[in-house]
Amino acid sequence: MATVTFDGASRYYAGNDRPAVDQLDLEVADGEFLVLVGPSGCGKSTTLRMLAGLEGVDEGAVRIGDRDVTNLPPKDRDIAMVFQNYALYPHMTVADNIAFHLKIKKVPKAERAERVREAAKLLDLEPYLERKPAKLSGGQRQRVAMGRAIVRRPQVFCMDEPLSNLDAKLRVQTRTQIASLQRRLGVTTIYVTHDQVEAMTMGDRVAVLKDGLLQQCDTPINLFGKPKNLFVAGFIGSPAMNLIPATVEGESAVIGGQPIQLTPAQREALTSSKVVVGVRPEGWTLKPAGEGISAMVEVVEELGSDQFLYCSTSAELAAADAADVDVAEAPHTITVRAPGMSAFQRGEKVGIVPQTGAVHLFDAETGDRLPD
Amino acid sequence: MSTVIDRPPTVTAVGGGVDRPPVHERRRWGLTVVGAVVATVFLAPYVIMLVGAFKTRPEILRVPPTYLPENWEPGNFLTMWDTPETPLPANLLSTVVISLGGTALALLAALPAAYYTARHNFRLKLPFMLLVLVTQMLQPTVLASGLFREFVTLEINDTWLAMILVNAAFNLSFAVWIMHSFFASVPKEIEEAAWLDGCSRSQSLRQIMLPLVWPGIVTAVIFTFIACWNEFAASLILLPTDTNQPLTVALTRFIGQYESAWQYVFAVSIIGILPVVALFALIEKHLVSGLTAGGVK
Repeated sequence: MATVTFDGASRYYAGNDRPAVDQLDLEVADGEFLVLVGPSGCGKSTTLRMLAGLEGVDEGAVRIGDRDVTNLPPKDRDIAMVFQNYALYPHMTVADNIAFHLKIKKVPKAERAERVREAAKLLDLEPYLERKPAKLSGGQRQRVAMGRAIVRRPQVFCMDEPLSNLDAKLRVQTRTQIASLQRRLGVTTIYVTHDQVEAMTMGDRVAVLKDGLLQQCDTPINLFGKPKNLFVAGFIGSPAMNLIPATVEGESAVIGGQPIQLTPAQREALTSSKVVVGVRPEGWTLKPAGEGISAMVEVVEELGSDQFLYCSTSAELAAADAADVDVAEAPHTITVRAPGMSAFQRGEKVGIVPQTGAVHLFDAETGDRLPD
Repeated sequence: MSTVIDRPPTVTAVGGGVDRPPVHERRRWGLTVVGAVVATVFLAPYVIMLVGAFKTRPEILRVPPTYLPENWEPGNFLTMWDTPETPLPANLLSTVVISLGGTALALLAALPAAYYTARHNFRLKLPFMLLVLVTQMLQPTVLASGLFREFVTLEINDTWLAMILVNAAFNLSFAVWIMHSFFASVPKEIEEAAWLDGCSRSQSLRQIMLPLVWPGIVTAVIFTFIACWNEFAASLILLPTDTNQPLTVALTRFIGQYESAWQYVFAVSIIGILPVVALFALIEKHLVSGLTAGGVK
């Protein structure tokens, strides 16, 4: 077990002007479960592969513990990896797949068998040890891939979207198993996913990447509660945070006729008169029509425990579209969470007011969060 | 009780009547007949060859010909080794050496080429692969005069080495392409998993890649070996000395301007096809496709 350090690590691909991973500085503590999350092409898998030695490091360094592994081949890094497609050896039995590393390292046969049995027991694979991977279900193959990793007792686990080929139910179940297994084994783990629910539920800390740049690395609570910039704010949370462009007039920004007070520090930090107001779906209070920002319910999503209302708002909000802000959803549609089984109907007019303390403010030019 | 109830209902359901056999039964018979006809057409030349090899010289020239030998003459298989037409033992040795050498060399060159082209992207990869393919399109006879000049310069004209090089070169493209597709079908991650499991490149090649592409290697070996074994045109031009010539060229020596020793032609042909048939029978079971199933997803 060891720490993992990325020290200004960059990776360039031939023919691309932008690096796939750009000057990444990241420290992973001993035994920590760190999740790398981001949209496709953000460099999360490349980062993992740089650590595993499957991808070169063009600038900077990668360290495992005190060892600089930047130029070490994968076999000398003491890393176990679970691949998205599991990458089991199809011509070997489950037992041989799990024992392959031990065989290469010339571990005595008796010890090998014992360790394979232990791993198989842990993962409920004992009945399948003599089967070939082709005779296993997707979930069983995933467990064999896990078994191959844990039997090694490596310094670091690398997991590259190991759940993405499982069906939704099995994914939730396996998610919990992996997280608890990691806590029990205490092995430093870097886990790549594009699923932000996986990221939030599994990681001690979550690192959000975009275009090869680390946006924020923090605990799930801080990532959700204090997103550092517009991208993180829009990426973390489902449904996504409502990001509404607004213009600062005097001491406040106004959205739909509702003034949002800015602190002196926030006004000081602004680079222009434009801000983006962020409010999560659960950060709104629903009022009768005529109060607050007037909105019309366009779509009602009933989840049983919650209800999400997708509301169109007044013309003055729509006009704010012009602001050049990188937001995931059309800014004039606002998602509001209502209690489950509420009686809202499509076409119904409502009023919405942001709750105190639920408002996040971002500089529209830089996208950075304004100080609280 | 009525007898109708005793009869299994499926007979009438699929057979269409009491007297006629069921549809699938009739179809099976039809297929068997068609298969027998096709097999007869393809096997007839071999049967004629086999039967002819056991006929005496007068009998084989008789008109009308006999179907089966009146006097079985197994001695043809003994006397053919010592005839004035050609030194057959030397010819057989020549075929064996050239085929084994050509196959080994082709495999040795094609294996790394196939692995590299399947695993790495490089500039002009597609033109390179197409160029490799183009070499397969040229007839050996087209190249013979150029090769002849080349071998004279290299002072290896009329040697086994020359024919080993020619055969390896002629079959290289097929071997590269077939093995390339097998290497390419093995997911990159399987090899990467082996590296992370502690394998060096050569270990992962030996322990992981080779078992997975084994059917491809076997296919390449069989086809290359057979092509080398059957090669005729280039040998005829590049190997003037009779002791260096392979069986394919030696066979023509039994067919003269005034008389032909057909019984030897047939007997030598039998000897010529036996190793190929044996090779197929031996390694046919290794030609299992879909070996990589289950490795990923």
